[in-house]
Amino acid sequence: MIAGVAGAAAMEVVLRGFAIAGLPVFDLVQELGAVVFHHSHLLGWAVGLGAHAFVGVMWALFYAYFFWSRLDLTPPLQGLAFAAVPAVLALFIVHPQMTLMQMDQDMIRVSAPMLLGTIGVREVSGILLSHAVYGLVLGSLYIRPVGYKVGSRPSVARKKSVRPRRPVERRRDGGFMFATGIECSYPTIDNGRWRRDELESCGHYKHWAEDFELAREIGVTHIRYGPPLHLVFQGAGQYDWSIIDEPMADLKECGPEPIVDLCHFGAPDWLGNFQNEDVAKALPEYAAAFAERYPWVRFYTPVNEMYVCARKSALDGEWNEQRRDESAFVNAVFNLASASVGMTDAILERRPDAIFVNSESSEFSQPCCPDPDVKSAAEFENERRFLPLDLIYAHEVSDRMRGYLREHDVTDDAFDRFCNRKVPRRSILGVDYYEWTEHLIDREGHPRSLGELFGWYTIAMQYYDRYKLTMMHTETNQTDASEGSRWLWRQWHNIQLARQNGVPLVGFTWYSLTDQIDWNIGLREALGVVFPVGLFDLNRDPREVGLSYKHLINMYCDQPDYRECKALKELMR
Amino acid sequence: MASFLSVHGYAPGPTQRPFLAGAISGVIATAPAITILRAFGSLRVEALVLHLSIWATLGAGWAAMAIAGAIYARLFGRAANNVHGGWIFGMGFGFALWAAGAAMVLPLISGGQAPAGAAAIGVVLSMLAWGTTLGVLVPFVHRPLHERLETASRSSSVGPNAATQKGENLPKGRM
Repeated sequence: MIAGVAGAAAMEVVLRGFAIAGLPVFDLVQELGAVVFHHSHLLGWAVGLGAHAFVGVMWALFYAYFFWSRLDLTPPLQGLAFAAVPAVLALFIVHPQMTLMQMDQDMIRVSAPMLLGTIGVREVSGILLSHAVYGLVLGSLYIRPVGYKVGSRPSVARKKSVRPRRPVERRRDGGFMFATGIECSYPTIDNGRWRRDELESCGHYKHWAEDFELAREIGVTHIRYGPPLHLVFQGAGQYDWSIIDEPMADLKECGPEPIVDLCHFGAPDWLGNFQNEDVAKALPEYAAAFAERYPWVRFYTPVNEMYVCARKSALDGEWNEQRRDESAFVNAVFNLASASVGMTDAILERRPDAIFVNSESSEFSQPCCPDPDVKSAAEFENERRFLPLDLIYAHEVSDRMRGYLREHDVTDDAFDRFCNRKVPRRSILGVDYYEWTEHLIDREGHPRSLGELFGWYTIAMQYYDRYKLTMMHTETNQTDASEGSRWLWRQWHNIQLARQNGVPLVGFTWYSLTDQIDWNIGLREALGVVFPVGLFDLNRDPREVGLSYKHLINMYCDQPDYRECKALKELMR
Repeated sequence: MASFLSVHGYAPGPTQRPFLAGAISGVIATAPAITILRAFGSLRVEALVLHLSIWATLGAGWAAMAIAGAIYARLFGRAANNVHGGWIFGMGFGFALWAAGAAMVLPLISGGQAPAGAAAIGVVLSMLAWGTTLGVLVPFVHRPLHERLETASRSSSVGPNAATQKGENLPKGRM
């Protein structure tokens, strides 16, 4: 709206300037006003200005909704390209029609030459110039539609929706976990200056009560839910629980049972990023405070997808510290793993029967050819993907990985501290899977997406074989909404195959409840483009996959081996 | 246009009935538009331009606006269902309809005759009012028309067979 008004104002300033300078330019604003006030120049100008500012806002909203980020141009040039649309309309439709409106008769015989005759050089130059100014200003101002400056806070709805709430019908301990999640990533971009906050972008702060109600309507038993760490944890010993007290109370009262995600790709402003070793000390303090405030919470994900977080932050240069070096990556991995271990211990002190769902993105790299360098790169990536889980699950690494860690200043003592740890019995290995998690290492050693080649079962078994822990499919979705149902059922058949083969698999998750924003570009820019992967769109209307998931849950939840999930019962024992 | 919309999660979900919601809203939205047309004398002029009676002009208008409303709701998808911003998208659509219909098509089908003066002002204002009302109405008219999640999820099209390639069967004799 601001960009639209500013664009219209700039347009008028330029035209006034030209008029004052005595240049022969056409004044669309004056013509607009003259339709209403033929004889008063000043009144006509004022009305024209108001009407034109309104039109400017209208076009700006269209720009924001339909045009922005579609062209691979800088923002001002995107605005300039868009301005061609209103310019053409103004030239060939609005201006000739306004000429007709100023006539003193009710009906006229028109022809193309007559209408086009109203367009002279003065009109063409004036309209094109003024709209170019509008487009440039609009494009320059509308640059980051989602997220907010680090240090500021979004508004959060404090009242519950008026819709009646109904408790989850099938809440029973030890049943298979049919889950979804609220997308809650909050990394920073622009070198720590801009906060991406998916809870805000996807409207969860505003619609949280409706979101939980929709989850209940679908029939999920569990919901992966990540309170905004960066807004709650405001400093050592300082917490603002007011943001989440009501949502947590709603989940406690009506379900679904939350799997609380305590750190999801971002650190609080005062901690900065994951190169800061204070993260490993501060997050356990937060976990302890959380467990004390909400003692009824049983399921926790201390740190979500540590490998992805470290990789995007310290190796790919996209989030948080935005580094691109191996040492920074190793440092981030160790800080995240230390934080995860510390958080787990802190929660266990307060809730000894807590269950930890350590979700990690499944990754697999396939060499494209027998080239030794390519094979070596794939082998390395296939080992490196395990590193954060190796640390929290006290798993030994290969000599090659030990060498890599030493090369990046990790002492054997530092590594062994993790290896000597006793892994909590109630740990669930969460394996996420998307169509971009399988990679082909090309001849240049670069990863390319393979799509769904081997599938979740094959890749997840590599993780299972390494850790031999109870498992859960903790995230999946499909970027093409029309393929969502198909993807869901195919993932489900992977689940069934794993269970048939004796894998202790306790849950499945469609992630997320609603569409997401900008995950098609990994959140590295604040474009505000919808990623249509949700069970519901951002108006909270169901997508086909939402119907399929409800169908699936209804079909399986009362089957004996899903109603009573032995593996989960054993874990909760 | 469709690709511009799809980037914003355009595709309406299977429980939605955009054509019906748009058509109903389109007809209701003619009420303020007709008031404006009458106030500016535009209705009489349009009837003259079209060589129709007032009632026939109104009938044609209702039919056209029902179709236009249906197209709006389907084409604008998620934007049309937006409770807060719907009015502005509707107004934009009304403007586009005026530009395409009243300003271009009407003179063509009437042999070159077009409203002018106050009647022309009435036409553009009525289309803006129609579009704005349409935009306001669609989200509210649409929601109660949605198929319920409970019944829609029972459809076999969203069931286990969805796992297969769409429309793909095994060749005969393979199973």
